[in-house]
Amino acid sequence: MIRFPRLGQSDSTTPWAIALAAIRISGLHHRYEPGAAPVLEGVDLELGDGEAHAVLGGSGAGKTTLLHLLAGLLRPSAGSIEFDGREVTGVSPAERHVAQVFQFPVLYPALDVAGNLGFPLVNRGWSAAAVRRRVGEVAERLSIAALLVRKPKTLSLFEKQLVAIGRALVRPDVALVLLDEPLTAVEPAAKWRLRQALKAVQGELGLTMIYVTHDQTEALTFAGRITLLHHGKVLQTGSPQALYERPAHEAVARFIGSPGMNLVDGEVSAGSIHLDGQPLGPTLAADGRCTLGFRPEWAEVGNQGTPVTVRSTRALGTLGGAATGLVTAELGGKVIHVQQALNGLVGDQAHLHIDPARVLIYRDGWLLAHAAS
Amino acid sequence: MRRANNKAWLAVAPVVLVVAFTAIAPLMTVVNYSVQDIFDVQTRLFVGLDWYRETLRDPRFLDALARQLGFSALVLALELPLGIWIARCMPLQGRMTVVFLIILAVPLLIPWNVVGVIWQIFARPDIGLLGAAVTALGLSYNYTSSAFDAWVTLVLMDLWHWTSLVALLCFAGFAAIPPAYYQAAELDGASRWQVFRHVELPHLKSVLTIAVLLRLMDSLMIYTEPFVLTGGGPGASTTFLSQYLTSMAVGQFDLGPAAAFSVLYFLLILLLCWLFHTTVMKRGDEAA
Repeated sequence: MIRFPRLGQSDSTTPWAIALAAIRISGLHHRYEPGAAPVLEGVDLELGDGEAHAVLGGSGAGKTTLLHLLAGLLRPSAGSIEFDGREVTGVSPAERHVAQVFQFPVLYPALDVAGNLGFPLVNRGWSAAAVRRRVGEVAERLSIAALLVRKPKTLSLFEKQLVAIGRALVRPDVALVLLDEPLTAVEPAAKWRLRQALKAVQGELGLTMIYVTHDQTEALTFAGRITLLHHGKVLQTGSPQALYERPAHEAVARFIGSPGMNLVDGEVSAGSIHLDGQPLGPTLAADGRCTLGFRPEWAEVGNQGTPVTVRSTRALGTLGGAATGLVTAELGGKVIHVQQALNGLVGDQAHLHIDPARVLIYRDGWLLAHAAS
Repeated sequence: MRRANNKAWLAVAPVVLVVAFTAIAPLMTVVNYSVQDIFDVQTRLFVGLDWYRETLRDPRFLDALARQLGFSALVLALELPLGIWIARCMPLQGRMTVVFLIILAVPLLIPWNVVGVIWQIFARPDIGLLGAAVTALGLSYNYTSSAFDAWVTLVLMDLWHWTSLVALLCFAGFAAIPPAYYQAAELDGASRWQVFRHVELPHLKSVLTIAVLLRLMDSLMIYTEPFVLTGGGPGASTTFLSQYLTSMAVGQFDLGPAAAFSVLYFLLILLLCWLFHTTVMKRGDEAA
């Protein structure tokens, strides 16, 4: 049970945020109209107290719909959302202890920065003095105290979005902050600064935040855990490392990493993985055709292994005293990328060696098992 | 020094010619009349600003001016909130939106003198739907004999005719507000009034500026509808500036005073619109 402070009560001994919330989403379905194609299909997700979570997906994945359902701006067609074990599906947005930062800075044009920051508190009946104190605290934390008397019109996009973030943090009873691609509208040069500011505030205050984005760099740098949403379904939830090293689905494998994971046709027969007819290593997977996945740095193009045709080689730099490059090659009609040390000449006709312990086996899109297991 | 190439002026010349003939020449003609006393084609007398002085001292001009300003203020005060309210009630999308837009556009498509005729019949206490209904309720109502009734009818007619314009402009303004603003306000616990005050009104500012300017200019120039409906009566109770001017120029052929009147009338509209526009712009800068 979370206890919220009495309205208007805010002194320096009050912790920043009182309402930390564990969030549990189960079997969430949503369609905008009956009979329309579902936007979300059976989304399950659990978030711990104070977690920085990213929801990653392409356009049309259902990311914004998920946020609107969490905020209470939409009612799900089916499924439930619980904050700390309390079902909130029927609770209005204003009473949900949720705040949101939108894609572009949403500020009230007629109010100055202080008025914008204090708006949610004034609406909840706080006294003018308490509002002023709290707004001062938030402005201090985000280093925007100098902007308090300015009108939104005079601010840069970066400053505007910082104020919008401030308004999301101003209520001490906010349990969950939703961020809908908050860097989209910000000047490119300021994106990094804003992300740093967000990350710092999240860490210091221990607020539960859900950060929705299509940009994997943003997701990987912000979040402790990432959920990959694809066509309304959760494909995988896990640490950035887990999503990188063991993508649960081919779509995750392709989405995460730049370049993405190499996916080539293979076969399992008699307990062994075969690539282009040659045995690669043992596996427990059942016999049959499959897709083999390997990261660019899990393989090497040299003079042993499966024959490949090298298309190009691009130097990436000299890391640790060795020249590193990205080799683009062709294998069975598919383009693959391999990242390796360039310590010798690689001819047009070469051989691909994949670390058999790391190869991943996919069948019908989903990850089967480690090759070595 | 580089020789300036002035050939571009040739491209502008046709426009300058057209504007000269359509705007500048007639305006200067009026200015020319306004400083002369014209007896016939040969006989004329330069009188300086006498006609201006006379016009400004003419009690009938001053009465018409007061009526004009009162009428404009009244219709603006009614049409703006009403137009905003209608636009606010309209669905932003869907099949019904088109229906509403067409219904709103209808009064704007009717010729002005037809609007006058429609209301002249509509408000007749003997056979008009409105007039007969009001009379049947036991109220004494006759727009041809009571100045008050004439004003009520005129204002109603203007509301019927022009509120649509404000509503259509505001509808465009409402449609342009990104949904995120409403969502943010909902999460921030804003009341219905605060949503209007802090989300909708600031976003309607530019369309409302246009609406006020259009309605201010048009209402100051109103002529046809009251001319058809009341003929300026009873007495002179609904005689506005344009009608008084017409009776001077066309009815009595007082070209000099009428020209001075015209120039003053033009300057008045220009002044009011300029005052409004600069005030709005200045406040916008202060807000910035």
